[in-house]
Amino acid sequence: MKKSFIIYLSSGLLAAAALPSCSKEFGSLNGAVIEDLTTNPTEFQMINTMVGTESGIRNNLDFYFDATGVIGREIYRFAGSEPRYTTELLGKDAATLNNNTFYLTNSWNSRYRGVKNCNTIIQGCTNSKQITAPKKKGFLAVAKFFKAYQLLLNLNLTYTNGIRVDVNDPDKPGPFLSYDESLKAISDLLDESKADVAGAEFAFPLSAGFDIVKTDGAIDGAKFIKLNRALAARVAAYRKDWPGVLSRLNESFFDLNGSLTMGAYHVFSTGANDQTNITFFRKNSNGEIRLAHPNFHAEAVAQLGPNDDRIGKATLRDKVASSDDLSSQWDVWVYTSNVAPITIVRNEELILLYAEAKIRLTQYPDAIVALNRIRTSHNSSVYGGLVTDDELTTDLLRQRRFSFYFEGHRWIDMRRYNKLGDLPKDRPNDDVFDKFPRPLTEGQ
Amino acid sequence: MRHLLKHAVLAIICAALPTLLLAQVSVTGTVTDAANNPLAGISVKVKNSNLGTSTDASGKFVLTIPSKGATLEFTSVGYKTQSVQVSENNAIVSIKMLEDIGRLDEVVVTGLATSVKRKNLANAVVTVSSKDLTGTAPAQTFDAALNGKVPGALINANSGAPGGGISVKLRGVTSVFGNTQPLFVVDGVFIDNRSTPAGLNTVTGAARGGNASNQDNPSSRVADIKAEDIENVEILKGASAAAIYGSKAAAGVVLITTKRGKTGKTKLTVSQDLGIMKASKLLGQREWTEERALDFGKAAAKAEYIAAKNAGKIYDYEKELYGETGFTRNTNISLVGGNEKTSFFLSGGVKEEDGIIKRTGYGSKSLRVNVDHRITDNIKVGVSTSYLNSTADRGLTNNDNNSVTFGVALSSTPGFTELHATEAGYPDNNYSASNPLQTRDLMTNRESVNRFMSGITLEAILQKSAASTTRFIARGGFDYYTLKTNVHFPNELQFQKTVEGTSVQGFAKNLNYNYILSLVNNYTPSDKFNLTSSLGLTQENGDFDNLLNVANKLVAGQSNIDQSSALSATQLRNKFQDNGFYIQEEATLIDAITLTAGVRFDRSSNNGDYKKLYGYPKAGVSWNLTNMGFWHSSLFDNLKVRAAYGQAGNFPTFGSKYNLISNFNIGGNTGLLLSTIRGNKDIAPERTSELEAGFDLSMFNGRIGLEFSVYEKRITDFLLQRPVAGSSGWSTQFSNAGDLRNRGIEISLNTVPVNNKNLRWTSTVNFWQNRSKVTRMEVDPVELGVFGPTLGTFKIETGKSATQIVGLAGSDISVPLGDAEPKFQMNFLNEVTFLKNFSFRFLLHWKNGGQNINLSQLLTDLGKTSPDYDEPTKEGSIKGKARVARFGAKYADVWVQDAGYLRLREVGLYYRFTKLPTSAIKGLRVGVSANNLFTITNYAGYDPEVSNFGTGFSTNVDVMPYPMSKRLGFHLSVEF
Repeated sequence: MKKSFIIYLSSGLLAAAALPSCSKEFGSLNGAVIEDLTTNPTEFQMINTMVGTESGIRNNLDFYFDATGVIGREIYRFAGSEPRYTTELLGKDAATLNNNTFYLTNSWNSRYRGVKNCNTIIQGCTNSKQITAPKKKGFLAVAKFFKAYQLLLNLNLTYTNGIRVDVNDPDKPGPFLSYDESLKAISDLLDESKADVAGAEFAFPLSAGFDIVKTDGAIDGAKFIKLNRALAARVAAYRKDWPGVLSRLNESFFDLNGSLTMGAYHVFSTGANDQTNITFFRKNSNGEIRLAHPNFHAEAVAQLGPNDDRIGKATLRDKVASSDDLSSQWDVWVYTSNVAPITIVRNEELILLYAEAKIRLTQYPDAIVALNRIRTSHNSSVYGGLVTDDELTTDLLRQRRFSFYFEGHRWIDMRRYNKLGDLPKDRPNDDVFDKFPRPLTEGQ
Repeated sequence: MRHLLKHAVLAIICAALPTLLLAQVSVTGTVTDAANNPLAGISVKVKNSNLGTSTDASGKFVLTIPSKGATLEFTSVGYKTQSVQVSENNAIVSIKMLEDIGRLDEVVVTGLATSVKRKNLANAVVTVSSKDLTGTAPAQTFDAALNGKVPGALINANSGAPGGGISVKLRGVTSVFGNTQPLFVVDGVFIDNRSTPAGLNTVTGAARGGNASNQDNPSSRVADIKAEDIENVEILKGASAAAIYGSKAAAGVVLITTKRGKTGKTKLTVSQDLGIMKASKLLGQREWTEERALDFGKAAAKAEYIAAKNAGKIYDYEKELYGETGFTRNTNISLVGGNEKTSFFLSGGVKEEDGIIKRTGYGSKSLRVNVDHRITDNIKVGVSTSYLNSTADRGLTNNDNNSVTFGVALSSTPGFTELHATEAGYPDNNYSASNPLQTRDLMTNRESVNRFMSGITLEAILQKSAASTTRFIARGGFDYYTLKTNVHFPNELQFQKTVEGTSVQGFAKNLNYNYILSLVNNYTPSDKFNLTSSLGLTQENGDFDNLLNVANKLVAGQSNIDQSSALSATQLRNKFQDNGFYIQEEATLIDAITLTAGVRFDRSSNNGDYKKLYGYPKAGVSWNLTNMGFWHSSLFDNLKVRAAYGQAGNFPTFGSKYNLISNFNIGGNTGLLLSTIRGNKDIAPERTSELEAGFDLSMFNGRIGLEFSVYEKRITDFLLQRPVAGSSGWSTQFSNAGDLRNRGIEISLNTVPVNNKNLRWTSTVNFWQNRSKVTRMEVDPVELGVFGPTLGTFKIETGKSATQIVGLAGSDISVPLGDAEPKFQMNFLNEVTFLKNFSFRFLLHWKNGGQNINLSQLLTDLGKTSPDYDEPTKEGSIKGKARVARFGAKYADVWVQDAGYLRLREVGLYYRFTKLPTSAIKGLRVGVSANNLFTITNYAGYDPEVSNFGTGFSTNVDVMPYPMSKRLGFHLSVEF
């Protein structure tokens, strides 16, 4: 009796154990999965994805500014535990740029992460049965704008090594396009974005960084086109399409007499899962520092005059900082707090793009008006040089250097004008590189 | 009323019956070794019953047995089992235990519910006894206590930080990005050995630069098992032994058995350890001169140096930071006892250890209750429960990108600058983003753990006949812990001025529970044949939940996260359920040939296809030649040849099948951004197949024992978090990327070189060696684990060692520079017992070869603070400049350095009193011990054992760790 009881008990236990041992699937416990956003997303999911895109395109921007700033001889970046800012980026001795190192890959991957988020919006809107056609167009217009902007930043790094534009299918990525083809693709994408605005409704918010495209707090299609064209004007300049620059400027928020700071920005905050601007370092920091290149202050004073407010973008340190045979007593003072915004595009650049196009089209008086607008706005004197192509170009590059100091333009400008050889080498065996290699993971 | 009376009488009769029916006899005896030295702790059991006791310090025992007589069995690890007939007429016995140097009679667990004696075992299974674990020189935590004791294992401490953190790799690397650590099972409970980061990365930014892996240096949760409570540890090193653990066993299984109760007089043992701890090595500081100061930091530094020199204020900051002497104390009380029905083991302990850095240290309080009870003759139940509360203050060490950890700050700080606090507070460090003295004095990085582990075993005999016994065995239990991490950096710290203070409060809870239900039949039709059949069901569940709150802009002096105006939170959850069933058959013929075969089937919620069953077979054979009738040798006591094969698996990491989306907000709006890791819906477990063969022999009456094993372990479809083209939008993806293989040799020699009345010397020498090779890759070679080829990196590449280190060499971008795998390892464990009561034990551990990537030296060289910076080189330069110049010429070999060592891991001298002051005290032992007393190495860092990336594939990377310590202890143990 007892024995059979035990047998029943144990077989019962075995059976009981067998029942819950049916297979289980717990799902992803730590967030949504991409398929939720691409199969038949709701309007709300697309709004989240758009907001996430605006947030995510700020990721690792500091690496972009450090890389372009160091190679462009605008800054020194000293870091206690990272030697490569002063070795590889400056081409010290035999050092070259590596294709699998943080200064390239962190920024490169983050920009394409933004592109992928934009492609997710594009795919989601295409497949969604829950979003109205006008609202879809609104999503598409802004997603394509962000996508073009991200591609442009990566192209700035790899230059003639090019970028992939078609990255929809991660298993079958499109080819690397040449520099010119890449620029054309970016330009076309901005045109598509502009075309999508016709009949679009904007169901989503953008941060205060995009107040320039809003009317009464809501995105206004007409104003969005003005922003789109501003970026398109920069791309046209890179393509040396000078009439194209002017025509795009005409459709943009370009205002020769308007505020220089009018524009679109990345904004930062200490809010939950938001980001702060880590490109900001306090003055007189040690160990982890960004120093202005030692020639910045002297040349700014010499070339802009003592009253120009852009001289203040480098401030005198209490002590000289030195590392790896480089030293400077000037701190970079462009971003003055950890919530200071970073420019995407602003009127000051549009005015200088206008000046540049006018110089290239030999309409010098117009160019001088624009250059003087920048000069006087910064308390500098008006242009007093010769009215020649060379001298005006020199002044244009000078104004761009000081107006966009540590904003990622200097290196690219000098490259556009084949003047990388003019950048100073601070150690006898340093090199000035013109482009980054294609990242290792892209296959060669 | 009459009824009641009748019942009462019946009850009294029933209660008295056992004593009436079973008149009892008291047996006494003495147990000694071959040299007549008394042996303590020998288990004495009545055969085929659960009556038993153990010998006291003078080798004596008393046991009550039924008057009809019985057979007593004397067993102890290291001795052959002895039996003797006892009865009323033969009630005083003296037993001489014979050496079992090859541990042939030791019982080894081979299934989920079955075991065999080592002499019939088909695998080389390592057993670490309680004495080996803690008997020489107790380590701070259990994981550290295993180090150097397991042939076939590469055990590496991540750093010297209080609270442990250790990586255990059995027979080579078994996974690249999956779990590389063995499964730990305590009394049948599968425990969690996760390392949970405390969120230090918010402050250090370590994962923001060259390597996105976490570098928070958390401890391993296996440290929560109290070494003093462990009876023995069995290590199943590979799939051939561990296949029955199925898809969790690819990296091996560590089976931990805790101490159990014993019948007999209740025994109380109190032990007290007191000791000190010091850094095992300090590197020293650069000697400064005016010229060097000028080169270091131009005129300003020179001026500061001259002023400091004139004021006599040149400091040794390394010594100030790492030069503390930590006080250690450890109290343990245990109570062992029981009767024929119930026995118990009860222990409690308190441990407090200061670190070698001020304001760091480790403390734990623990309680264990193990109870065994026999419900009927056929049913017994055993319960193990333990509770542990531990606290570790771990300081701020390892890599960072913000120059805030102690070591990184120190690497660019010369001794002539002033960092000490004045009434005005701490000065800012002129040469780094942080003042390490200020950081040390104001910061907090504390892990607090509360952990319950509880297991239950139920064993019932369902059927019993002359030839056959069928048992039902249920084992299972749960492991639950909460981990609180408290990271606080107040706003007055030099590097906290921008964010105005950081408080990271983390809460992790983990629940693991599992059961194994088995039916085992033992069929013994004759002495010559024995068949053990088992089958069973298993289930394992895990549920982990980690909240991490990061607060900035803190109210001064406050760390509560509500005392802030910027608060972000993250939550990480994971959960799994694995189901399996197994069947196993073991046959023993003429006590000489053992054949084993079994298979386990598993499925898991972690797999891409959660319904798919994966099968893991195993088979083994052992042939004991000396037990064959034809073998007559006076030379060999025992000679066995064996071979075993088995497969085991390793699940993909939780969530690796999903394309996850993360939360990224801006301007108060909620946003979604795809994660950097691409999912893989087809992800499958990696599979290890292992073939091992060897022989065991024992000679000269057990005075020499030799075990020899070779193995080949093939890992197919190994899991790799491979980098993917950044243009895809993702950075990495989990994939089943290829195959790799490990081959190795293990030799173990046990001898008793001297054994006489006054001196007894036992010695164990182990030699082991492993070589790995990647045999197939479905993807391009992958550089991973470190900071890229400029600084030396691991590279997974077909035809090469899985742990090879490559890097730049001039214009060549990927040249082999070394290998983290040692050429071989050896250990020497010796015990000398002399003058009857003295016992001297030591453990030497030799790791030959194996390279580290010493980026600590890179940082001090770049910071121009290396102690040997100014030493001349043969070429007429100085060392520091020469190393930096070679690095500048694009050679990464400078900091890939040999990390072999010879280390006296443990040494202890103990004295056991035989004349005791009072009869109330049954035993008294005193001793002194030391850990890591010396280390001979050419390695230039603090310690050749190091891992910036914690536990996992990429150990052996040195970035400013918490320096290793040596320990000196005094021990007192009293038995009542």
